[in-house]
Amino acid sequence: MPIICWIHGWAMHLDAGRHIGKDSWLVTGISILLFLGFLAAAGPFLVPHDPYDISFSPLRPPSADHWLGTNDGGMDILSELVFSLRNTVIFGVTAGTAGLVLGVVTGLFSAWAGGWTDQVVMRLADIVLAIPSVMVLILVAAFFQPSPVVLALVLAGLAWPTTARGVRAQALALKNSLHIKAAQRMGGSGRYIIARHLMPELFPLYLINFAAKTRMAVFMEASLAFLGLFDPGEKSLGLMISYALQYYYLDIWSNWLMPPIMLLSLLIMGTTFVTISLEKMFDPRLRKTV
Amino acid sequence: MRIRGKNWSTPALVYLAAALIMAYASFRLPQLLPGDFVTAMYAGSDVTLNAEQAAELRAFYQDTQGFPGYLRNLATLDWGYSHAFMAPVSQLFLQALPWTLLLMGTAHVLSTLLGFVLGVEAAWRRGSLMEKAGVGIMTVLEGVPEICSGVLLLLVFALSLGWFPAAGAQMAYADHTFGQWIADVLHHLALPLATLFLAYLPGNFLLARAGMVMVLERFFVVAARAKGLPPLRIRYAHAARNALLPMVTRFGLRFAFMITGALVVETIFSYPGLGTLLFNAIALRDLPLVQGIVLFSSIMVLVINLGMEYAYNLLDPRVGHAS
Repeated sequence: MPIICWIHGWAMHLDAGRHIGKDSWLVTGISILLFLGFLAAAGPFLVPHDPYDISFSPLRPPSADHWLGTNDGGMDILSELVFSLRNTVIFGVTAGTAGLVLGVVTGLFSAWAGGWTDQVVMRLADIVLAIPSVMVLILVAAFFQPSPVVLALVLAGLAWPTTARGVRAQALALKNSLHIKAAQRMGGSGRYIIARHLMPELFPLYLINFAAKTRMAVFMEASLAFLGLFDPGEKSLGLMISYALQYYYLDIWSNWLMPPIMLLSLLIMGTTFVTISLEKMFDPRLRKTV
Repeated sequence: MRIRGKNWSTPALVYLAAALIMAYASFRLPQLLPGDFVTAMYAGSDVTLNAEQAAELRAFYQDTQGFPGYLRNLATLDWGYSHAFMAPVSQLFLQALPWTLLLMGTAHVLSTLLGFVLGVEAAWRRGSLMEKAGVGIMTVLEGVPEICSGVLLLLVFALSLGWFPAAGAQMAYADHTFGQWIADVLHHLALPLATLFLAYLPGNFLLARAGMVMVLERFFVVAARAKGLPPLRIRYAHAARNALLPMVTRFGLRFAFMITGALVVETIFSYPGLGTLLFNAIALRDLPLVQGIVLFSSIMVLVINLGMEYAYNLLDPRVGHAS
């Protein structure tokens, strides 16, 4: 049922199919993400080796058995690559989803409650927004060495204010519109109006914010892993780049260093294309002119 | 607090609260660790502590004076001692800071200036092949993270072609005159600077272009054209200054990204700034050093963002009156 509401909300805003088909950036971005999503989801069942298997001879060039050769620990690079992509994607989606849910809930709550509650929540959002999230993540990771999921949730706990602000602003505008007033006069409860009117109508905002947050989280994950803040046994694109970079002067950079770089760039490019085209599509100021 | 007739208390209070929260987290987090974490942490490190040093470190993390005392220590540059580098944390921080400021500052100024001019010109030539190509290239560049562009530049220009050094900020033990020293520093700066420039440029370009496109539709631009003013004057004296605002407002949000990128780029090129220092501190599990860098970089970010807020109010007086 909620899905039907959401699709309904989507259709209320614009004729979705027509716009999506026309924007080649969006089509490219979604295609890249679908491809990488498939690789991350199905890849681990397709690759020939266990990425933790260290029984092969190390630093071998590509061969029929190891398409991308082996790394310094004698692990199959192709298998490692697929598992790394999977972990990076999981981190991004976890942080993106959690941050989005937190932001939407606080934004709607704040707008609907109004008054003092609204003031307190929004000042809190200002403060959290001012804190540079990468520094908090470094501190937490250095002291507690938590699992990536915990770090993703910490990141979400720092990334919600942008969404909350956007959702609140739109919800405030909606709150005073005639059809919401009508629903209130007809006796609709606050919960009913939030669930059936406000939430579905803000659907485009969720898409934009989810794409932007996932992009940020993937960028953070790769950077933090590269800086050595993740468990060194973990598979991650950032960690792979960091290990391979130590051997950059050897000839194996083309099969060890380049693949994770390409996948990470593709992943961030895909989310960037989607974010930019969605922002363009739904920004009320730009819509007329674009 | 009122400066120039505008209410300043709210942003200043927000940033002060954020700074206090960061300081409190840095003060409290070590105490939440279970057991004897000093031994546990340094067991996995390359640094071996003797009994006296370990006791000293434990005393450093023992809460004897509470949060106010901790703040007093921070204010007097007493940030602890790094056993990995055998030096006070504040000294290491202040040694690395100029290099980071040089790198990030230059990259930021160059990318803002060029991004702004290119964005304004692109918006002016809206619909032309050049504009479309420009937007396309910048959108693709926006999708390339610093890790990737940095490693590629390192492979091509330092390793393959050998045009630029792969590490460091200056030649060690070289007997340079002042002019040679400047040239040497710039030579070392080139690759990390290019990486950060390529990372910051697309965002500035896209923001400036989007802002300018909207400004160009306004009536005062139409009026300026109707008066027959030269195009260059319309573009910059009339329109472009209004396109500056979105770039300033988005700065705070982009700054956190910029910092993360700079940490990574410094590490890739072993540039002796805060990023490389932090990387080494993490690798050696030098906790006081990690804490010092994190806390004081955060405070600097907060101060810069507060300054931007002030600049924004000067640029657009409407904001001050609205709030």
